[in-house]
Amino acid sequence: MSTQATSLTAPLLSRVPGVAIVLILLSAIFGVLSPGFTTPANVANILTQSTILLLLALPMTVIIMTEGLDLSIGAVLTFSSIVLAVTVIATGSPTLAFLAALAVGLGFGLGNGVLVAVFDIPPFITTLGTLGIAQGLSLLVTDGQSVVGIPSSIEHIYSGMVAGIPLPVGIAALAYLATHGLLYHTRFGTYVFALGGNREALRVAGISVRGMLIRVYAFGGLMAGFAALLMTARLNSAHPTAGIGMEFDAIAAAAVGGTSFERGNGWLFGTLLGVIAVGVLRNGLNLLAVPSSTQVACIGAMVIVALFIDGLRSER
Amino acid sequence: MADVPLFELRGISKEFPGVKALDDVSFEIRAGEVHMLVGENGAGKSTLMKILCGAYRADRGSFFSSGEPVTIRDAGEARQFGIAVIFQDFTLVPYLDIAQNIFLGREFPARLPGFIDRRRIYAEAERVLDMIGFHIDPREPVHSLGVAQQQMVEIAKALSQDARILVMDEPTAALSDRETELLFAMIARLKAKGVAIIYISHRLSEVFALGDRITVLRDGRKIADLLPAETTPDQLVTLMVGRPVDTTYTRPSRPAPGEVVLEVKNLSGPSGISDVNLTVRSGEIVGLCGLVGSGRTEVARAIFGADRVTSGEIRLFGEPMAESIEASTRRGMALIPENRKTQGLALARSVGDNIVLAGLRKMFPSGIFVPRRALKAARSMIDKLRIASPTPRRPVGTLSGGNQQKVVIGKWLNADAKFFIFDEPTRGIDVGAKSEIFRLLDGLVHNGAAVLMISSEQIEIVHICDRAYVMRSGRIAGELAHHELTEANIVRLGIHQ
Repeated sequence: MSTQATSLTAPLLSRVPGVAIVLILLSAIFGVLSPGFTTPANVANILTQSTILLLLALPMTVIIMTEGLDLSIGAVLTFSSIVLAVTVIATGSPTLAFLAALAVGLGFGLGNGVLVAVFDIPPFITTLGTLGIAQGLSLLVTDGQSVVGIPSSIEHIYSGMVAGIPLPVGIAALAYLATHGLLYHTRFGTYVFALGGNREALRVAGISVRGMLIRVYAFGGLMAGFAALLMTARLNSAHPTAGIGMEFDAIAAAAVGGTSFERGNGWLFGTLLGVIAVGVLRNGLNLLAVPSSTQVACIGAMVIVALFIDGLRSER
Repeated sequence: MADVPLFELRGISKEFPGVKALDDVSFEIRAGEVHMLVGENGAGKSTLMKILCGAYRADRGSFFSSGEPVTIRDAGEARQFGIAVIFQDFTLVPYLDIAQNIFLGREFPARLPGFIDRRRIYAEAERVLDMIGFHIDPREPVHSLGVAQQQMVEIAKALSQDARILVMDEPTAALSDRETELLFAMIARLKAKGVAIIYISHRLSEVFALGDRITVLRDGRKIADLLPAETTPDQLVTLMVGRPVDTTYTRPSRPAPGEVVLEVKNLSGPSGISDVNLTVRSGEIVGLCGLVGSGRTEVARAIFGADRVTSGEIRLFGEPMAESIEASTRRGMALIPENRKTQGLALARSVGDNIVLAGLRKMFPSGIFVPRRALKAARSMIDKLRIASPTPRRPVGTLSGGNQQKVVIGKWLNADAKFFIFDEPTRGIDVGAKSEIFRLLDGLVHNGAAVLMISSEQIEIVHICDRAYVMRSGRIAGELAHHELTEANIVRLGIHQ
């Protein structure tokens, strides 16, 4: 443990994280296989399509860093989106509808946090339960049907452009910067590292571990509520199965990006790369007309490849 | 010195379900004194310190700061009285850097609410590190530091809180001699500044070298409060364990060495060891010493097949070893790691489960577990090693350190191990149990086993081992035969010329 030898073999490989290698490889493969892949329009498309996932993967990274998990994030996204759609149709106020979606997300996040922190229920079980609740509520409210008839002002949020940049990409970029600031420049972020790395250290420093955990899960819920705005705008409707499996993509993006499930070892920029890698993979496979079910398998394989590369890197 | 103590605890009692951890204990700390707190594991030292720093709340008792009655309900309140603790299990966050760790929970606010003034954190960290003479970049992440460096960070953390009362729980346990000297020099400096130090130690030499006052706890009660001049090491041990104990363990008889069990030739590996040669015969206890970081543990891990090697040869009973832990254990090799709790035991499982764990393949070749047979094997091992557990069903985590160590040994005995590597077998084990561990080692070699023992306690090597190898910078610096085995020779070989 005390003496560490530096690897002489492949010094370059040892410094480049697995996610970057995977991203470069994927881009190269799709660039060759499908001519449309490298067009500016498609690149913008990939980024735009990645925005919703990024909004989920950012808090997922933070939650995983605390040695936790949020399986409910996709279902909460769905339910928030339905509440948003129903509210805007009923009241005609997009602002009120957005606030309602945020409130639903925050409510679920707080619920997760309280169950995990106060009642000490393992995050996996807690969020599996709330996943079921959110998904069930979505089906109950909509009777399994799409909610349509949303004013076009909401749709513009997804299709609009600001200064030549797609609006959702701008929103996602801001969300990334905000989360980066939160994680690396605030007390909250410092305590996130400690929640995963050494809770006892927090306790003896006089910081409430429970309070911090609740905030972490609340952040996840809030971001899911926020993502619901983009989701609803993208579909121009709310659909009770729209967010199914999004938690898988979010966890995969964080894992690909090198965030470990142990000791508070996380890397937010890696998650950004991971999200783009998932987006590139899905987009490239779409262009090649690979069915969605096969895409899920490919994402799984990609996670394993990226972590395998990281494993080679750390082996002495 | 003023007559009023800097801080005083009076009549402290604390009960955990089923255990009376502290019973009416009073304790006072004066400015500029090193107050040694001694006692066996389970005597209540850690509980008392956790109450002092606000991690636990006392059931009964009162606190006085400079004579004024006060309350300590949480860590924050304890900090206000200048109380800081350096725990044995470090309270460091691996993926934060040194500065962030030093100021964890006390980050300097920036103008934006919730944000941290990073520049100030690093500047202040540098100042504190400078004060204790620890020259390192405060941006270094803690997970890349060694144990001694992490302890320095812990101390810096405490001092940055303007600690007036510093609690150290076995601070030298993981330090080399040189690092220990640096620590002692630092303690002297802190004393001169009027800092009071409560020092928990199992090492009697430290108690007498450093202590201005000694408090002895036993079974949750205060047994004695005395000056070092008023007592002797032997008396102190008697007070701690409640019965006379022989601190210098001697082996009544030593078996004649038999066949070569382990032969290591020109072993080198990426963990930093190079050209290591050693042999261990049956009936022998061979020491492997040297400073912390000299490569002792790395050699043990390479022999055991836990680390890769690049060249050289390892033979067990004359046959070359494959590089795998599984092959090593199957052929009768056992590594008893330094860190019992994380590497040697499944703490939540029962004593019985732990004992049969390594021998499952041998005991149940069909793959079907027969609880009755496992319990029987466990019971016989409990009797044989005199493990203080009324039943094999008791969770192993509830036993004392010495008994946990016995369970680890029992586990490998049950798996028919013939060659044992002990990495710091007495770390964290109280004096009373140490001699029993040595008796066990002695018993192993009398039954034809071979033992390789790593220890930082030179005195243990001198008393227990038949021969010893001394390591320096990943190499064997020399071998000491039994008649050459003295502390002075070990130090001479282990230190860089």
